[in-house]
Amino acid sequence: MNETAKQIKDKFFELGVDIPIGDIEERLDKLITKFRVPVNEARRSVINYFLKEHNIARSDYFTGQGEQMPYGESPQVNTADISKVDMWVSVKGKIVQLWDNDHDSISQVGLIGDETGTIKFTKWQNAELPDMEEGKCYLFKNVISKEWNGRINIDLNKNTSIEELDMDMDIDVPGPSTESPQVNTADILEADRWISVRGKIVQLWDNNHDSISQVGLIGDESGTIKFTNWQSAELPDVEEGKCYLFSNVVSNEWNDKIQINLNKNTLIEEIDEDIEVGTSAITFTGALVDIQSGSGLIKRCPECKRSLTKGACTEHGKVEGLYDLRIKAVVDDGIVTQEALLNRELTEQVGELTLDDAISMAADALDQGVVLDGLKKKLVGKYYTVIGPRMDRYILVDSIEQESQVDIALINDLLTKVEVA
Amino acid sequence: MAGYYREVAKRIFAQEFRESNLTFKDGEDQYAPQYLLTPTGAKVNRMFIVGTLTEKEDIGTDSEYWRGRVSDPTGSFLVYAGQYQPEAAQVLVECETPAFVAIVGKQSTYTTDEGDVLTSVRPESIQVVDGNTRDLWVLDTAKQTLNRINSLKDCGNDAVKAVEHYNTDADQYRTMLKQALELLKEQQ
Repeated sequence: MNETAKQIKDKFFELGVDIPIGDIEERLDKLITKFRVPVNEARRSVINYFLKEHNIARSDYFTGQGEQMPYGESPQVNTADISKVDMWVSVKGKIVQLWDNDHDSISQVGLIGDETGTIKFTKWQNAELPDMEEGKCYLFKNVISKEWNGRINIDLNKNTSIEELDMDMDIDVPGPSTESPQVNTADILEADRWISVRGKIVQLWDNNHDSISQVGLIGDESGTIKFTNWQSAELPDVEEGKCYLFSNVVSNEWNDKIQINLNKNTLIEEIDEDIEVGTSAITFTGALVDIQSGSGLIKRCPECKRSLTKGACTEHGKVEGLYDLRIKAVVDDGIVTQEALLNRELTEQVGELTLDDAISMAADALDQGVVLDGLKKKLVGKYYTVIGPRMDRYILVDSIEQESQVDIALINDLLTKVEVA
Repeated sequence: MAGYYREVAKRIFAQEFRESNLTFKDGEDQYAPQYLLTPTGAKVNRMFIVGTLTEKEDIGTDSEYWRGRVSDPTGSFLVYAGQYQPEAAQVLVECETPAFVAIVGKQSTYTTDEGDVLTSVRPESIQVVDGNTRDLWVLDTAKQTLNRINSLKDCGNDAVKAVEHYNTDADQYRTMLKQALELLKEQQ
């Protein structure tokens, strides 16, 4: 605690404020001992207190993204030596790859390499640093190491400066210099891996990004995965229903989902075979305990088929929507809950009404909600078995059956188990 | 999944629910869900019940407040629905007794002046269902209760806590299951 107090005192002294160490210690002690606040939390609270007391902006005390940077320049290290998180270092190397990037908050992302290896770097938009070019060498001063998906990378932030160097380095680039291993889509579980994927283009999605040339789903026997073909990769277009080998793609995580990105190093080769796309359907039985909002009679955007919220599409704004029926159900077996998505056909079947029925019901009641209410009344509280492939947190239901009558054999079976104590 | 996740609806027979009185929260946060730990070690926030609505009564003074009594093979649940459960209350208003009902709801407890803990259910939804659904629930609940009884000796956190608090007699609950299943068998 004394050390913490001393650090705080020193830092404030540098900012031109001399706080008696006793005052700092007293406040820390009160928080830590009397109110059982963890040391980190107490430190934060004490610093904030004195910043306010002396009218100092938080940003003068803390620099960068809430990281406290040590004074002076960070030591220059080899990329191979960056082994822990939160190390402030300087790195000299060559930009061996710049990756495509769709995040607004990131200005550039890629790999920097030196004689000892390569490391991923992320240059944040708010760092306001100049853009770098692939193939040139730079000195990054004051970057911080971070961990993402179990791998160490470096962040370029407001404390960082970039110096272009007039030199060249010979760097071993991982991945595309050799052929990436071919894997099944179901085995792509980690981000930032160089891989090759062989499969059939199951779907091509509408896409309005200038930087994306195509986006869709590619599938093999093990399942499907989303792929993004970036404009900058300058690759030929693929066609829905045809089979391809994508060599040297990079896996990437986006919204908690793994997908693959095609880039400049990628090769697309059409293959002359028909790949059977696996669905890996699962079966789940339980009580249907809820139907979520956004179910029943909905309207979809005619452009992108997304469901509309208050008559507007998140992508295309106010549009003349097309009616559809669907159910987002929660099925619960007493151990876990499982969300299940039913399309129009299944909703019509299980709800015993057609889309036209639903539209006229809504028109009579002047309220789309009556369709949802009707479906709830019909389905909630009953036992169902749903079968379909899992996609994210949903089962995309292919078939749904209400549980049939209780089987006497099951009762007898359970009775024997109860009695064997 | 990070952040919010939906509470699983536990299956408990009325007898076990009635004999439960240990409530607790995970964490200090005022919005942390409250749980009821039952004698066989079920940690209950949400529950799913299918039974017979045998009585219903508006016990509200200023606004409507409905109490329903839902029975299963082992006893009965008390269900309370008022202005904050409008859909469930509406079903209680409209439906006739007796009727098979499926209820998804949260457990709720009340401690009397004498210190007794009374358990009840605050429904999120009540639906009128058929007898088959009720039978499926009895079988489902018997199976899940037996699994919990069998897990009592495995010393999981909830099991240890339950046995410590209730001094749970596994045979008593086996007997309850046996009677429930024999009744179910007779009703087929």
